[in-house]
Amino acid sequence: MKSLFLASMLVLGLAGCATQPETNSTMIDRQELRVDPEVVYTADVTELFKSRLTLPDGGSLLQVQFAVEARSHTELGWKVTWFDDVGMVVKGVGESYRQATLLTGQTRYFKATAPHARATSFQLHLREPK
Amino acid sequence: MLIRALAISAGIAVLAGCAAPTRYIDPAADDGPVAMTMDYRDFEKAATDAVEDMLSSGAVNNPDGSRYIMVVSRITNDTMQRIDTDQLTKKIRVSLLRSGKVVTTTAVGLNGAEDEMNMKARELRDSEEFDQSGVQRKGTLQAPDLSLSGKILQRNHKVGKEQQVEYYIQLSLTELASGLAIWEGETPIIKRGSDKSVSW
Repeated sequence: MKSLFLASMLVLGLAGCATQPETNSTMIDRQELRVDPEVVYTADVTELFKSRLTLPDGGSLLQVQFAVEARSHTELGWKVTWFDDVGMVVKGVGESYRQATLLTGQTRYFKATAPHARATSFQLHLREPK
Repeated sequence: MLIRALAISAGIAVLAGCAAPTRYIDPAADDGPVAMTMDYRDFEKAATDAVEDMLSSGAVNNPDGSRYIMVVSRITNDTMQRIDTDQLTKKIRVSLLRSGKVVTTTAVGLNGAEDEMNMKARELRDSEEFDQSGVQRKGTLQAPDLSLSGKILQRNHKVGKEQQVEYYIQLSLTELASGLAIWEGETPIIKRGSDKSVSW
C-alpha cells in the first residue's frame, strides 16, 4: 500500500516537471518586416504594401510589394513566409532567399504572391548574403 | 623502408585532414558559392517566378471554380549541360497542385503516359481473376485542359577576363481548347565568373 502511494507520488511529481506544450492559438505579434542590421546600413525599405488580388473564380490571393532604396551598392537576399489565419506556415514554391542587387541610389520594387488563398499574413525578411 | 612507409602514412593523414568534410546543405539557408552551371537554386527561382506569375495572372483560375487539368509537354534542353527538366517542371507541378488551382495528369504524355499504370490497370477489365467492382470503368480518365511546354537556353560570352553564362528559362501554358498560349514567362539567369569555370 505504501509502495503504491510512493509510486503515485512519483508519477505526479514527474508529470508536474514536464513542460506543457503551448496549445494556445493566440497569435504572437509577428513583425511583417524584418531587416538585418547589415542591410539597414546600406539600404532602406521605403514602401511595404499588401493587398488581396481578386481572381476570376471569385477567390483572392495575398500579394506583397515592397521598395528598397540603396544608399550604396547593395546585395541582399529576401524571402516572404506566408501564414494562414491561425498562424501556420503556408508552404511556397521554394525555401531559399531570392537574391537582388541594387546600384547606388537605385530604388527597386519587388513583388511576391501567396501560394494559396489560405495565406492571410506574411513576414518579409531582408538579409545580406554572405 | 620503415621511414618511407611512415612518411607516406603521414602525408595521407595530412591530406585527409585538409579535405572538406561532407555535410548537409539546407536549401533554406544556403550561403554557398554559386556554380556556373545551373543548380537547384536556379530551378527554384525559375519555378517560383513562373508559379507566382501564373497564379497572379489568373491564367490557372477556372471560372467555374474547378481545377484545371494540366499535361507536361516538351521542355527542350538547349544548354551544354545534361539537365533533367523534371527538376523544373516538378516544382511547378507541386506548387500548382498545392495552390488548389491545377492538377497534372499522368495518363497523357508526348512519349506515352507518364504513369503507364493508368492503362495497365484498365487491362484488368473483363479478367476473371479480378473483382470487377474495383476495376476502372471506361471513360473515367480526364483529358487535359492546359499544356506546359518550354525551353532552357544557354549562351556563353567572354567578358574581359571573365566568362558570362546566360540561361533563359522560357515557359508557355497553352489552352488546349483554343491552342492559345494563355500564359508565358521567361526567367533569365545570368552568371559571371572565372574564365576557367566550366559551364557544361
